[in-house]
Amino acid sequence: MGMSVALDGDARQAAAVKLGEEQALVRKAQAGDRLAFEDLVRRYDRDVLRLALNLVHRPEDARDVYQEGFLRAYRNLHRFRFECSFYTWLYRIVTNVALDHLRRRTSHREEQAPAPKETEGVAQDFFDRQPELRASANPEKSLLGHEVGQQIERAMKRLSPRERVVFEMKHYQGLRLRAIGDLLGTSEETVKNSLFRATRKLRESLDGIR
Amino acid sequence: MPNSSCTEWQPLLMLSAAGEELETAEHDRLSAHLAECPSCSESLEREKELLALLAENHAEPDAALLASCRAGLTDALDREEEGGWLRRAFGSLLPANWLSPRPAWSAAVLLLIGFSVGVLAPRLLRHPENLKAPGNPNAQVAAVNDSDSAQNNPADSSDPNPLANLARSPIDLRTADVAGISVLPSDGEDDSPRVELQLRSQQPVTLSGTVNNDDVKDVLLGVLRNGERFCPDVRLDAVDLLRARNNDPDVRAALCHTVRSDRNAAVRLKALEALDGTEPEDIVQQTLLSALVDDDNPGVRVEAINELRELAANGRVSSDDGHMLSVLRDRMQKDPNTYIRLQSAQVIRELGPREKF
Repeated sequence: MGMSVALDGDARQAAAVKLGEEQALVRKAQAGDRLAFEDLVRRYDRDVLRLALNLVHRPEDARDVYQEGFLRAYRNLHRFRFECSFYTWLYRIVTNVALDHLRRRTSHREEQAPAPKETEGVAQDFFDRQPELRASANPEKSLLGHEVGQQIERAMKRLSPRERVVFEMKHYQGLRLRAIGDLLGTSEETVKNSLFRATRKLRESLDGIR
Repeated sequence: MPNSSCTEWQPLLMLSAAGEELETAEHDRLSAHLAECPSCSESLEREKELLALLAENHAEPDAALLASCRAGLTDALDREEEGGWLRRAFGSLLPANWLSPRPAWSAAVLLLIGFSVGVLAPRLLRHPENLKAPGNPNAQVAAVNDSDSAQNNPADSSDPNPLANLARSPIDLRTADVAGISVLPSDGEDDSPRVELQLRSQQPVTLSGTVNNDDVKDVLLGVLRNGERFCPDVRLDAVDLLRARNNDPDVRAALCHTVRSDRNAAVRLKALEALDGTEPEDIVQQTLLSALVDDDNPGVRVEAINELRELAANGRVSSDDGHMLSVLRDRMQKDPNTYIRLQSAQVIRELGPREKF
């Protein structure tokens, strides 16, 4: 018990130090220190890219969301007033960029165009040509995994942009419903409803897989 | 699948599978239900399996994609910095950039700006001549040396032109203020009374001389032209003193301006009286007619009709002036003051034969 309290205290202390360092970096970046901003980028860009990739799915779109998100943060850094963590502020920006992207894509009906298959090959994106490490050991498993992946992708496309964001934030970014509500500028109850709808749609689409 | 009676448990099952979102009471309630309901237990397991399946297939960015994104962002930031210094320099001047982070200071600054605009704008709008260059002779009304009080008082000087030796630096009536006007007895050489003007500038200045002196005249004209800046007593004194020069075109114009625009009825009345005996120029006649029609104060209108009657009696008004006749007929019928209605009729009679109207 005593050990647990001590560990909790150490963890809090470490978190406080980390927060202080982050705030110092943000202040430097606000003063025009480009290296400080790049340091902040390095801290969070993997999470940002994962979020973007799972929201928009296409690597090239994820790259656009990543870049636009960080550029917006850079341009608006002087407006950040430390009322929330930099991480929350950055996520809010990236989420909004991704939502804009998804809505634009939905309105342009880009998703109706068939995505080029890997076997068609000629016009593949650079990132599509990168080796898939996870499935390389077993070709049969690889094929099965590929089919499951496609089904999941189709199921995800049935979700609205907001449902997709809520599902991603909850299950893959590990955020609480209240935090998601803060990020999206809505209530916890609305987020809960979106999550419920998203889960139901996915269950309906993927019920026969296992 | 859960029973239809278990539908109400679905949101709690979903939250339970999501983890860490159930309150203790909800968790206990759900646990109790799951212990009795195999259908919901199975449903919870399927929910967890679904999430596990999705987690297995959750895309993780590979190193190449991340490296590419970082390189692209570095290039974009370089471009942003190249083209951005100008935007940042001017962007910092944009109100949104300095107002939003400091709401209290922003409110104070906005209040100050609003107050300044509220005070200055009506003044500038009412008197567009104030916008003219400082060299504008209408605004540069006096020239005095204000460095030494002995020099400032030309009465103590042996110079025959008491103001000439004071003409060192101009005083602008937009910044100087006339604190008071004192009328002194004539010194015998000139019938005109001597005037002493106390000017409030950066340093107090006293200016004295007769009204025939152009510097004194200019200060007094400045008082009338910028009437809203001076108290009624000062304006009354200025009108009274300028009456001695009412045939001067500048003085006449200033008196007419005062009749039309001064807020104080006594000053307007005094200015009308000061116009009495001037050359019957069109501007004077139009000012009298304007006062007769527009002035709210019956005393001012009475003075206006009296002077018009005097002009008509002396044959100094043309009987062919259609505008004047229409104004007089209007006043004869509509003016609420009986004396003015009667006098208007009298002026009409004096202007010509009855049948003409």
